[in-house]
Amino acid sequence: MTQLLAILVDTYRELSSRRLFWLSLALSALVVLGFALVGINEEGVQIVGWTLDIPFLNTRNIEAGEFYKLTFYGLGVRFWLGWLACLLALVSSAGLFPEMVAGGTVETLLARPVARSRIYLFKFLGGLLFTALQVTVFCVASFLVIGLRGNAWEPGIFVAVPMVTILYSYLFSVCALLGTWTRSGIAALLLTVLFWGFLFMLNVSEQMVNSFRLARVEELAAIDRTVEKRRQKDASVDISDLQAEREQGETGLEKLRTAHRILFMAKTVLPKTDETAALVQRWIVDAANLGDVSEEDAQGEGETPQRRRGRGSFGTTRARESDVRKAIERDMESRGVLWIVGTSLLFEAVVLGLGCRHFARRDF
Amino acid sequence: MADPAIELQTVRKTYGGGVHALRDAALRVERGEIFGLLGPNGAGKSTLVKVLLTVVRATEVAGTLLGRPIGEKAPLARVGYLPEHHRLPPYLTARQAVEFSGALSGVARVDRRRRAEALLDRVGLGHWKDRRVSTFSKGMRQRAGLAAALVNDPELVFLDEPTDGVDPVGRKEIRDLLVGLRSEGRTVFLNSHLLSEAEQVCDRVAILLQGRVVREGRLDDLQRQGARQELVLRWHGPVAELPGCHDAGPVDGDPSVRRHVLPTLDPAAAQPAIDAARRAGAMVISLTPCREGLESLFMKAVTDPVTGRPLPPGASS
Repeated sequence: MTQLLAILVDTYRELSSRRLFWLSLALSALVVLGFALVGINEEGVQIVGWTLDIPFLNTRNIEAGEFYKLTFYGLGVRFWLGWLACLLALVSSAGLFPEMVAGGTVETLLARPVARSRIYLFKFLGGLLFTALQVTVFCVASFLVIGLRGNAWEPGIFVAVPMVTILYSYLFSVCALLGTWTRSGIAALLLTVLFWGFLFMLNVSEQMVNSFRLARVEELAAIDRTVEKRRQKDASVDISDLQAEREQGETGLEKLRTAHRILFMAKTVLPKTDETAALVQRWIVDAANLGDVSEEDAQGEGETPQRRRGRGSFGTTRARESDVRKAIERDMESRGVLWIVGTSLLFEAVVLGLGCRHFARRDF
Repeated sequence: MADPAIELQTVRKTYGGGVHALRDAALRVERGEIFGLLGPNGAGKSTLVKVLLTVVRATEVAGTLLGRPIGEKAPLARVGYLPEHHRLPPYLTARQAVEFSGALSGVARVDRRRRAEALLDRVGLGHWKDRRVSTFSKGMRQRAGLAAALVNDPELVFLDEPTDGVDPVGRKEIRDLLVGLRSEGRTVFLNSHLLSEAEQVCDRVAILLQGRVVREGRLDDLQRQGARQELVLRWHGPVAELPGCHDAGPVDGDPSVRRHVLPTLDPAAAQPAIDAARRAGAMVISLTPCREGLESLFMKAVTDPVTGRPLPPGASS
């Protein structure tokens, strides 16, 4: 245990000796400061002393605590921790493994009474400390801001610490493998960022195709409802146009189902960074307190159901936008933690296994 | 007799592409001695040490290290190692680097703190303990590396070119340190191509060439193998046959002054030859005992006896 603790402490020392470590912390502080400067009142959003009059974003529609939690999630978790802080952490720690396997260093590590796989895994865990520490500091500061400004002492936001660390661990496992394999921090970083970009594109593609698929399902249901209505009025009415529309819709739906199945399978075996970050929102933001802002807004603008019906999202002409949106939300929420985090961790375990195997079998 | 520190019966290491770094190399290192592994660059010295320390996986290996099969991790807790071109973590102070090394070997915190303090004093870095390694000169880093190699109070220490980059005063101090380690009962395995240094401190040496041990033995014994006495005589008449000697030819091109070689260091063996020379009217100029230097031994070992050219060091396919 002494050896493993030493590797953890050394990794922390290595990371904290880098300027990026302190730069990340300073940027985190800036983000929290920015977060603290934004408030909400009855008229709208308040930034320092000025109030922006936003009709649907005020304390009449949303509680101050929920607003802060939403901001914490949208600005803090999704944007800062989920993207920029992770990228900074990757830049900072991409060199950890290449430096560990560099000549003159690796010999002193390997000629010890510690199994190589343990050295690899503890170096990896040490690397995760970087993110865990950054996220913890950010969450503590955000906790105080939400409590003091929004009067909502919400310990639930600390769920972001494990979730963002887990999210980062997917990417760092890839970075560690590539770093050990290529012995180059730059190559490891570039390839990992490329992989991350691929995951992002895959996620966007899957969500787009899924949205079109669900919209098409809603569209078919809307056609069925229209057929029903017409028949109720007049049983002998001609519905051939609707039948043709339905047949066309079913053909399109089948293609979308196939495409979605392929993308979904690819996502299942790969880490789901975006959805892991989204879990934080699922757990800390109470949707019931937010109200249906867009719908209220739409009605507030005087929009009628007839007008909305024709607008259509994701290529629909008959399905209501709110139905499509709800179907998409339901589908997203049906994706459980086990699928999102479990399969991603499985991917990570495989990548770590490959890294350990490579490190254990390689001559240095 | 106690178990040897290292008993290597055989080791083979073939890299991808059929490059043979080690081929059936065998050697034995006794406890409490300074053992020198010598050889030209590329002969396989570092690979051999790395195999012993599990840094490189051998294609085939049989033998023991501190009584345990080579390849086991447990005995490495009692081994110290200073690799060639080692790099201590630059973000650590000398004290932290030595303590980290101790922690990796499983030394308890209290012990490694105490030892780091004492060892840094011992290697001459007493005033630099809390300075970052990144600010050190090469010689200072080497000294810190030595302290790191010794922090686990090892029974066996592997030092790969320990005086690399160290000034002459520092080299002398390191040699004294090695002798001190031996007097404490530790075994020192020295990897070096600096023959003069090895000659000054080693009890036994092995010469590695083309992945094989071509010479091994006590330095005294090896040097004795080529030991001789050289009798230089001035002849005023014809050169006579001298008992136990062979005529090695004129000295400095003067045909009347000749060197005669007796293949022994025993002074008594030279007396009949001297008596015979005097009887023949020759004048004795000098009688010099000559031992074979390590450099000469080394050069003989690495030179092709037929062509007289250095043999390729190793790593051939």
